[in-house]
Order: sequence, then structure tokens, then C-alpha cells
Amino acid sequence: MISGLGRFLGELRSAGITVSPAEWIEALRAVEIVGIENRERFRAALRVTLVKRAVHRRAFDEAFERFFTAPTGAGRDARPDTRQKRGARPGSAGQGNRPRGRPPISPPEADRPPRGSGHPVTPLAQAIEALRAGATVRHGRLRRVVVGRRPDLRDPSAGRDVARTPFREIARRGAPDDADAALARALRRQIESLRLGTARRVRRAPRGRPYLRRLFRESLRTDGVPFGLPKHKRREDTSRVILLVDVSWSTARAAGLFLALGGEFLRFGRQARVLLFVDRPVDGTDLVSRWVASRSRMPFAALLARVGGLNLAAPSDYGSVFHRLLRSPARPRGRRTVLVVLGDGRTNRFDPLPWAFAELADGLGAVVWLVPEALELWGEGDSALERYLPHVDTAVEARDLAGLARGVRELVRRSG
Amino acid sequence: MAAKPRKTTPESIAAEFLAHGFVCTGEVATTLHLAESLGKPVLLEGPPGVGKTELGKLWARFHDGELIRLQCYEGLDEAKALYEWAYGKQMLYVQLLRDKLGDLLDGATDLGSAVRMLGAQADAFFSREFLLARPLLRAILATGPVVLLVDEVDRADEEFEAFLLEVLSEYQVSIPELGTIRAAGTPRVILTSNDSRDLSDALRRRCLYLYIDYPSFEDELRIVESRVPRIDRALAERVVRFAQSLRKAELRKQPGIAEVIDWALALVTVGADGLSPETLRRTIGALVKNREDLERVLTDLPRLRA
Repeated sequence: MISGLGRFLGELRSAGITVSPAEWIEALRAVEIVGIENRERFRAALRVTLVKRAVHRRAFDEAFERFFTAPTGAGRDARPDTRQKRGARPGSAGQGNRPRGRPPISPPEADRPPRGSGHPVTPLAQAIEALRAGATVRHGRLRRVVVGRRPDLRDPSAGRDVARTPFREIARRGAPDDADAALARALRRQIESLRLGTARRVRRAPRGRPYLRRLFRESLRTDGVPFGLPKHKRREDTSRVILLVDVSWSTARAAGLFLALGGEFLRFGRQARVLLFVDRPVDGTDLVSRWVASRSRMPFAALLARVGGLNLAAPSDYGSVFHRLLRSPARPRGRRTVLVVLGDGRTNRFDPLPWAFAELADGLGAVVWLVPEALELWGEGDSALERYLPHVDTAVEARDLAGLARGVRELVRRSG
Repeated sequence: MAAKPRKTTPESIAAEFLAHGFVCTGEVATTLHLAESLGKPVLLEGPPGVGKTELGKLWARFHDGELIRLQCYEGLDEAKALYEWAYGKQMLYVQLLRDKLGDLLDGATDLGSAVRMLGAQADAFFSREFLLARPLLRAILATGPVVLLVDEVDRADEEFEAFLLEVLSEYQVSIPELGTIRAAGTPRVILTSNDSRDLSDALRRRCLYLYIDYPSFEDELRIVESRVPRIDRALAERVVRFAQSLRKAELRKQPGIAEVIDWALALVTVGADGLSPETLRRTIGALVKNREDLERVLTDLPRLRA
């Protein structure tokens, strides 16, 4: 039995659930107590001893069903394929993929000022224009917009540098294998240049801040004699980073490159978590960290196919993702947390629920949004960026690899 | 003498909890059974209002034991959670025993000898007589069955969490003036968290982890019927269906089980026999506790009641 359960341990690890030897021994003791005759009790014994976070429950249940379901005529892998066929476009997926019957709410197009004249007309566009010009403006929380240099069209080499070629242009050109190979080479160069540019000197104080509450309490008890100034223990001055990454078909290339870039500078697990989403957030920390660390990296699309609970064929729904995240145990919290969102903010006409994003961002140390689109397209069409960016500290135009590198630089700067 | 521990099985736990109106799923009953057998604390997580604290209370009742509750908050420290010296009582005793102290120090010829003589008596003022045991120490000192409920541990600081980790791993504390105090038996411990902060991996590893979600329709119906016996079956079904549809709607504050029970009680109190718009308007305050949610629910009433 132990060897059979040992194979289940491997199944759990491949599903992204890390199990320590102590937890494994605990699980074996639990199974010994409850026995294996009652399937639900057996499952409960394994679950309460091996799963320590709510976000892993679903992955555990899937792994359990996969492993402990008797083989049928089609073999052990004859489980129902809950995922849609990959590569299907959102249009073909239709509303059948949506978990709820909530009707899509159209943005108030009629209320929007006309676009296309090239002049800043919306409050967001005005704010961006002013921020780029170095002016001090107030547009909610937004204080900084990082934008790349525009290519000089008279320069014949412009357009040949793959790091400065917009993702949208790469997709249009076709020949994805060539583009990906070129991007992989450019990625290594970007990592090197980021490494050289992110050195930072940190001065450490021997003790923390004065602990005034404790000082008053102790002084009241002993009339302040003898007097001593209690201090907080010094905290490790490292921030926690939550990467919330849109992996729908329109941003998947940027998402993969961003994670590969950012992964070089973050310690996944304790310091950084990765939440991938299309229409719902899914914890992908363990899988992504292993993917970043592996030498022969599998294609990002293949990695996404292994992430349980991710419906890649669904249309992206930012409102639903923010709302689910707000209610989930994986919700980012605390002043030392930096939330980094990568996505185009295109909600496919679903309700963007900006209040949910505002509540998520409230109380966080910093919120950075990387937009894999040209600045001119922000807020156009079904993009709800205009409603999200007032709750963001820094917006980064990440329409190409160089833009993503700027985003990673911003992330490293913010997270210390 | 310590009471003989009660033998538990998942079935006996589920039956006893049900008798007190708590519908215990197989996973909850198995977890409590394992916590008994393995002597491990249970970490309960889940949305507010699903009965995490109630579970602790019922577990204490199951064992006819004392429930010792430690409500966590920001700034909670060892003095409030473990023990402190009764400073006021010590001062009062010193004042009352001034004459006795004078007699004791009568033979002192100089200051040094007086201090030495006083030092020999100091232990009397740092004995258990003057020790104020706080919840953690009370749980350790208890001789009978006891359930320690560390409620909303996520509200406490990380430093306190580290301290708790130390206490929970050994079930012993060191008091410099008295030495190390070990627990007579292993106390049953339940920690609850509402996820306002991510708890450390170390604390999670030491506990059995149980996530309690909102109940299924059938379970919630059983809960409402057991808690509000006077409710009509058809009305109870409509109440639960409505509450479940609210949980699927994207509200800021989802109704917990406690709120559903309150609402069912309110409906019975006003003598409602159905969920007419007027009845809903009059009683919905027991279920929805946020102004924006209230407006949204009242606007969407026809769809939600469907």
C-alpha cells in the first residue's frame, strides 16, 4: 500500500502540491487510522494531512480522482476531459464555457467621447499624456506611466530588432517558430541587461522601530521604572509579490516571456506567487517555478495545458477574476505586498467590476499593471483599462520584449 | 485525576454534532477523529459565517470539557495570551505585610544583609499565588478535557504566530521564575482563520488543515430546519435557494449560515408564508448587511426569486 501511495505523492507533486516528508508520514498514519474501505473517509484523511492551502484543494481532488479511479476500458486516462480543446478562439468557445448565466454587460459606448483624433480626450488619456510630459496629475492612484521609445521609422534597422517588435506584429507576421527562437535569444540578452542594472545597496538597521504600545503598557504596569524602550523585531525587508497573469490566447506570448523574465529575479513560493487566469484565477506557482528553473524549458503553451482548472478556450473576464480573487484565500493582502497584473484589460463586454479591483488594490504596498499593447490602444474597444488604472500606482506599456523588461525592472524596484 | 477520554469515531462525532444542530460533513468528522488520534491541532479556514467557531464550541461540549477561547487581534502579545504577574496583588500584599517584613529584616545589620534576607523571601511573591494564567497557560495547566480555540489567528502579528508555533509543538512553556511547565495531557486545539493574512507554512505544517465552505443546498436546508424548527418546509427551501443564489451573485458580503438562520427566524417571526417582494423588503436586512448589496438585491429581486 505504501508504494502505491508513494506513486500518488508523485501525482500530487506533478499537480503542483508540495508535500514534505513529515506531512507524508502524517498522511500514512492518518490512513492507518481511518482505513481504506470508505473512499470518502480515505480521501478526507489524505486531504487534511497533505493539503495546507485552500487553493490546492481542487488540484488535490483532481489528482485523487485520476489516481484512485478504477481503470475503464479506455485505460486509466479515460477521465472526462474537462478542458476545452486548446487553440480554440474565444468566439468558438461561446457562452457555454462561462460558469454563470450572467449576461454580458455592454460598456456605455454612447457615453464615451469620440476617439481616433490622436488628441487626449478621456481623463485617462489626459492623465497619461500629462504624466509622460512629467507633470503632476491626479488620476486616482496612478502616478507613473512607463512607456518605451517609439521606433524611428526612417531607421532601416527598426523592425528587425525582435525585442522591440510589438507582440501584435509578431503574431501577424506568422512563422511563430522563427519568432519564438529569436525571442528566446533576445530574452537571454534582456535578462543579462536586467541583471547588470538591478544591483542595489541595502542598509540594515540592527533593531526595528520603537514598540510604543508595549512601552505604554509596560510603563503603566511598573510606573515606568526601570525605563526601557522596547523595539519591534527587525523584519526582513522583502516584499511579497503576487503576479496575476492573463494567459488567454491574445496575451499568452507576453505572459510566457514575462514569467520567464521575472522568474530570474523572484523566489517563487514564499516571496512570490503566480496566479494565472482567463476567466478565473488559478494558482500556478509551483508549476511555473519548476518551468522557470528547468534547463530544457517546455513551450509555455504546453505548461498551461498542465495547469488544472484553467479554461484556455474561455473568453477572458477580468471582472469575474477580480471578484473571485477578492473572495478567495489567495487574495493579496498587506502593505508589504506588491500586486503585478499582466493583461490587456479586455473584458469581452462582460461587467468589468472595477470596484472589485479597487478593493483588491486597497491596502496593498504597490500595484503595477503591465499592458501588452501600445499606449494608443489602452481603453479602446472592450478594454476596461480606463476603469482599472485609477487604482494602479504604475502602468507599464509592455507591448514588446523590451517593454516587459521595463516592467520587470519596475517590479524589482518596487519589491526591493 | 484526569477524566477518562471519550472514545471517538467519525460517526459518533457527526451524530453528536447533529443533535446540537450542526450538520457535520464526513470530512469534518474524519478531521476531528484524526485530530484526536494523532494529537494534532486543526487549522480551520473558510469564509466568515460558516461555523468555524461553533465547531470549536461543540467539540468542547462533545467531551464535556472546558472551552478556552483566545480571541486574536493585532498587538496580542505573550502577556495577554500566556501569563502575567498580578502586579497589583503583589503590591497590596507588600503593603499588608509591611510589619511582617519589618520583623523579618530586624536582624539585618547593613543594607547588603537586608537585601540578601529579602531575596530569600522573593520567591513567595513570584509563586503560582500571584500568577495570572491567560488562555494558553490555562489550557496547559488544565487537568480535565479542554478545547483551546485560537480564534482568528490571522489577526495576530507574525511574531505572535511564531510564539504560538513554539507552544503548540511542545505543549510546554517556560516561566523564568517558576521553570518549565508541561501540559498534563495534550489539549485539543482549534485555530480558525478568515484569511485576512497569509499564515506561515510552518504553522500550516503542524496542523491538520480543514477548509469549510458554504454548505450544499441539502445540508443548508437541514441546518435551517434544525435551527428554526417552526419553519415550514416549503418556506425553508425557498429561503435556502434564495441565499444560495445570493452567494452566486457577485456581492461584496456574501450571506453566511448564521445570517440565513437569522433571516429564517425573522420570516417565522413576521408570520411569512412565502417570499413576496413586500416580505423580502421588510426582512432582507437580516440577510444582506451592505448598502450597495441591498440596493442590488432589491433591484434584481425578480431574477433572484426565480
